[in-house]
Amino acid sequence: MAQMMKRRRILQVAAGLPAAIALRAQNPYAAATSGKPDELPKLEAIPPDGVADAQRKFCTGIQLAALKRLCDMVLPRIGETPGAAEAQAAEFLDFILSESPTDRQTLYRTGLDALNTQARAKQGKSFAEVDAATAAEILAPLGKPWTYKDPAEPLTKFLRTAKADILTATVNSREWIQVVSQRNRNAAGTSIFWTEIA
Amino acid sequence: MPSPLHDVVIIGSGASGAMTAYQLTKKGINCLLLEAGPNFDYTKDRQIRAVYDLPYRGFGKPGRFPHVTQANEFTAALWADEKQNPYTFDPKDPYYWVRIRRMGGKTLVWGRASWRLSDYEFKAKDHDGYGDNWPVSYAEMAPYYDQCEPLLRVSGRIEKLPQLPDGVFLEDKSGDSTSIARFISAAKQKGIPTTKQRRAQGTLASSANLLLPDALATGKLTILPNAIAREVTVDKATGKANGISFVDRRSRREFHVRARVVVLGASCLETTRLLLNSKLANSSGVLGHYLFDQFYVKNTVQAIVPEAKNGRAPGGLMGGTGYIPRFTNLGLLGKAKPDKDYLRGYAVDFSSGGTPDPKYFPHYGEDLQKALAAHTNTGFNATTMGSVLPRFENHVSIDPVVKDAWGIPALRISARYSENEFKMATDAMNTLAELCHAAGFEMLGQHDQMVPPGESIHELGTCRMGDNPKTSVLNKWNQTHDVKNVFVVDGSSFVVGGSQNPTLTITALAMRAADYMAEEMREGSL
Repeated sequence: MAQMMKRRRILQVAAGLPAAIALRAQNPYAAATSGKPDELPKLEAIPPDGVADAQRKFCTGIQLAALKRLCDMVLPRIGETPGAAEAQAAEFLDFILSESPTDRQTLYRTGLDALNTQARAKQGKSFAEVDAATAAEILAPLGKPWTYKDPAEPLTKFLRTAKADILTATVNSREWIQVVSQRNRNAAGTSIFWTEIA
Repeated sequence: MPSPLHDVVIIGSGASGAMTAYQLTKKGINCLLLEAGPNFDYTKDRQIRAVYDLPYRGFGKPGRFPHVTQANEFTAALWADEKQNPYTFDPKDPYYWVRIRRMGGKTLVWGRASWRLSDYEFKAKDHDGYGDNWPVSYAEMAPYYDQCEPLLRVSGRIEKLPQLPDGVFLEDKSGDSTSIARFISAAKQKGIPTTKQRRAQGTLASSANLLLPDALATGKLTILPNAIAREVTVDKATGKANGISFVDRRSRREFHVRARVVVLGASCLETTRLLLNSKLANSSGVLGHYLFDQFYVKNTVQAIVPEAKNGRAPGGLMGGTGYIPRFTNLGLLGKAKPDKDYLRGYAVDFSSGGTPDPKYFPHYGEDLQKALAAHTNTGFNATTMGSVLPRFENHVSIDPVVKDAWGIPALRISARYSENEFKMATDAMNTLAELCHAAGFEMLGQHDQMVPPGESIHELGTCRMGDNPKTSVLNKWNQTHDVKNVFVVDGSSFVVGGSQNPTLTITALAMRAADYMAEEMREGSL
């Protein structure tokens, strides 16, 4: 997906080039710059997620594969609305987990390992590789009613935590907001940011 | 050449410090106000940003604010950093101390709820026999509430409830949505009163825009940011305070300012820490004791309005908010027989609208998205705010080891809820669930788990008032019994807090203390 987005962006940039070059050729000053020398620039820029591959920081390869599968199951693409995969939620959570307190890291490590352990026990494959029915069977704890207190069972606790994190990582992503904010202005994802104290 | 002698030096630019400055400067008294944090420029220091443009996608840097649940990545710069500003507690009894060190203090982001206390709080001991009364009555406080509400632009509705005295409001003439009206009707049938919220209005309702500009305009106020108070200094010959020593936040240079009167409005626990570190005003031995706040049970109930499901809400069904004031253990003031198995009572904020959090739906994938879509703008929730009994054993002291980034000894906090609060929280949950059912709402979840002490950011009581210097730190004018030219104007002066948010009362007390100070200074008594 990231590769497709990178290619699309390169094509978008290339398509605008010939007209700009032709205009600049008529005037040497314009050829020097198409900017406005008396205006302060505000350049559009993007975060790295859409154009670069995040380096794995926390999960092992098999843990990250399980997390990606979990992300895709918790929030799949639905119609035109991007899902957790397009938002690279798993890669983002891998990063944030690398900086998280130990108890959070342990919850995820043991939770992802438990997904793989159960998958192997049921089908002899990792969680990323089992069929949809088996994967759904493993996620059955997510069907339990909500309680305020954390569930005693570690896998259920992990799945509830991961569900919330995956949803947040997705709906706060540029990929999700750009699509959904077209339909709903409240989904613009903007707020007042306070700058750090010097 | 020595620095100038100021009439008054005030510590803190939040609700209490700024109100004191406002009132004193109006009377022509020169004030120097020290703020531990920086000054700021709203046009430069705040900007609109997209959540995806933040380094942590809105999650915030993990572990940065383990005890500030209010912090998010947008507001992270507001809250006092716990590494620079550490405090300690027994891990079995965590305390969430939430601080802001910027001009305006916590009024930059307060919830704006502005309720008066009544004699059910000021004279609580007379009513139920527990603890102590305030040394002031509602009648003495009312004229100051009357002046503070217009300053804060408080909207509200006149209700004539004895436990929630009316004020000088911007009249709230708004109607109620059908769902709110149903909840109010269900409450009324159980004899539970409701009213509109009472909140400060305006784009910003902070001491930084409502109080300090007018005080500066008098020409009598000087504001010094980045000044972290280290100690109240005392003239050994007279026993009176003669100023404040402080450290510059950025350079760490040490300074001292001289003043005839010292006013502490640094917030309940910072003021207490300053007095403890100064070894002042504690002949009673109660300085730092009787720490209490209000407990919160956030989203005690989460329900949905069934008629609103699948986008079928008729116009006017959803939206709006309301408030249940304390309604338990009231009876006739002074003669009540408790009607519950706990003392005092709780208040409730309730609101209609919005989509319930995904955690309430036992689904994932497309099923979850369908459930969320079906429940868009169907939500009804209520949060409980309960009174916490002031108890001697809940206290703060100076940690013998830990110091902050400026070398100032840190606070150690020991606080836990009592059985009274646990029983009250459970009663609130059951009552609210019953009201939701009676209103025809479907319950998604209910609980009675109080947030840890401190999280409501309503810490109170550690420099309590009283007529007896042996059992209190301050007299009825917020003046320390021990050192007559030291005043404490923040929430630490509270004797009883009730279930009402304390800020309005803090401003009224500060204004009243300032009037007293001004008169004493005019007479030469200070």
